[in-house]
Amino acid sequence: MNIHPFPSPVDTPTGTRASRGLGIVVFLSMVLLTLLGLVLTDEDVVQGSTVRLMYIHVPAAWVAYLAFIVTAIASAMYMWGKQHSLTFDRIAGASAEVGVIFMGLSLVTGSLWGRLTWGTYWQWDPRLTTTAFLFVTYVGYLAVRDLGGSHQQRAKRSGVVALLAVLEIPLVHFSVVLWRSLHQKASVLQPNGNVTMDGLMLFTLLFGVAVFTLLFVWMVLHRQRVLTLADAIDDGGLEAALQERRNEAN
Amino acid sequence: MALEDDALNLSPREAVPAAQSVRSQKRRWKPALLLVVILVFGGVVVTKFLSSAIDYYCNVDEVGVRSGCEGTRRLRVQGAVDEGSLKKASGMTIFSMSFNKKTLDVQYDGDPGGVFQECIPVVAHGRMVNGVFLSDRIEVKHSNAYSTKNKDRIDKAEAAACSLPKL
Repeated sequence: MNIHPFPSPVDTPTGTRASRGLGIVVFLSMVLLTLLGLVLTDEDVVQGSTVRLMYIHVPAAWVAYLAFIVTAIASAMYMWGKQHSLTFDRIAGASAEVGVIFMGLSLVTGSLWGRLTWGTYWQWDPRLTTTAFLFVTYVGYLAVRDLGGSHQQRAKRSGVVALLAVLEIPLVHFSVVLWRSLHQKASVLQPNGNVTMDGLMLFTLLFGVAVFTLLFVWMVLHRQRVLTLADAIDDGGLEAALQERRNEAN
Repeated sequence: MALEDDALNLSPREAVPAAQSVRSQKRRWKPALLLVVILVFGGVVVTKFLSSAIDYYCNVDEVGVRSGCEGTRRLRVQGAVDEGSLKKASGMTIFSMSFNKKTLDVQYDGDPGGVFQECIPVVAHGRMVNGVFLSDRIEVKHSNAYSTKNKDRIDKAEAAACSLPKL
C-alpha cells in the first residue's frame, strides 16, 4: 500500500479566489493608508510628524486585541462544541500567532513614539507594563500549543490558556483609567463618547483600523490553512508509522 | 501459519533509537524551555507592575501630603508647565509646573528636548531640595487631543499646547 503522508502544496494551496481577492484589496488599501498617513494628513499641532506613527500603532493594538478575542471565542467553540472540531483550535492558534505579531508591532511603534514625545523608549507605567504582560502571555500560549501530545490534547490545553488570557484585555485597555499612566487616555473610545481628533486624522485612523482588520482576516485565513496541512502531515506520519508496523508483521 | 505467528508476536522489539523520536524529544524541550523563560519574564513584569506602575507619579499638590509622595524621597511628579515660566540658563532648564492650584519650581539639568514646551503636562523625576524640585529626567505626558497644524491655524500653532484640553 502506497501512502502519501505529506499533502502536496501544489494540490492543496492555501489561497482561494476569494482570499486572493481579499489580498489584493488589502494591498491597495495599504497603499492608500500609506498615502493618507504620510502625505495627505497634516502634522499634529504639538507632536508634529510624530503623530503619523499613530496610524500604525493604534490599528496594530486594535488588531492584537481582536486576534486574542477571536482566539478565545474559537477556543470556546472547540471546547463546548459537540464535535470538538479541530478547525476551531487551528483558527485559535492562527489568530494568536497573528495577534502576537501585531502586539509586537504595537510595542515597537509605541516605543518609538514614546522616545519622540515622552523622551523615553520605555517606562514601567501601567499601560506599557500590562501590554508587555499580555504579549508575554500570548507568546506563552504559543509555546503551550507546541508542547506536544495529540491534536486534541493541544486543543484542550491551549483552549484553557486562551480563555484565561483574554481576561487581561480589559485590564490593558482600562489601565490608563484605573491607574496613573504616562500613556495618554483614549482619543476615540472615551467613556463620555467624545472624540478629540480632527477630521482627516480621525478618518485615517479609522481607515487604518479597517485595513489592518482586513489584513488580519487574510493572514488568519492562510495561516489556519497552513496549520491544517501541518496537522495532516502529522496525521499522515502516524498513519505511515502504523502501516510500517503492519508491513513488518506481514 | 508462520506468517500468522509473526503477526501475533507481541514480544518487545529491539529499541532502535530512531532519529525522528530524538528529534521530537528535542522539539518538546524547546517549547518547555521557552515557557520557563516566559514565566520568569512574566514574573519580572508583574514585579515591576506592583513596584512601579500602580503609582507611576504623584501630582504636584500631593508632594509632601500624600503617603508615598514624601519630599524626602525620590519622586516622579506630574503637572503642567506654567505659561511664561520656562527659562534656560547655563545649561539648566528652569520652569514651574502646577496641578490643582499648587505650583512647584523645577530645575532640570539639560534640555528636555522632544515636544517639551509650556502648558504641556510633564512627569519630572528627581528630589526636593530646599523647596525646589531638582530633576534629572523629564517625560512629556502629551494629551489625547490631536489637532492638525494647517495653514489656517499656523498663527495659533505656537500657543497650541496652552489651548489644548488639560489632562
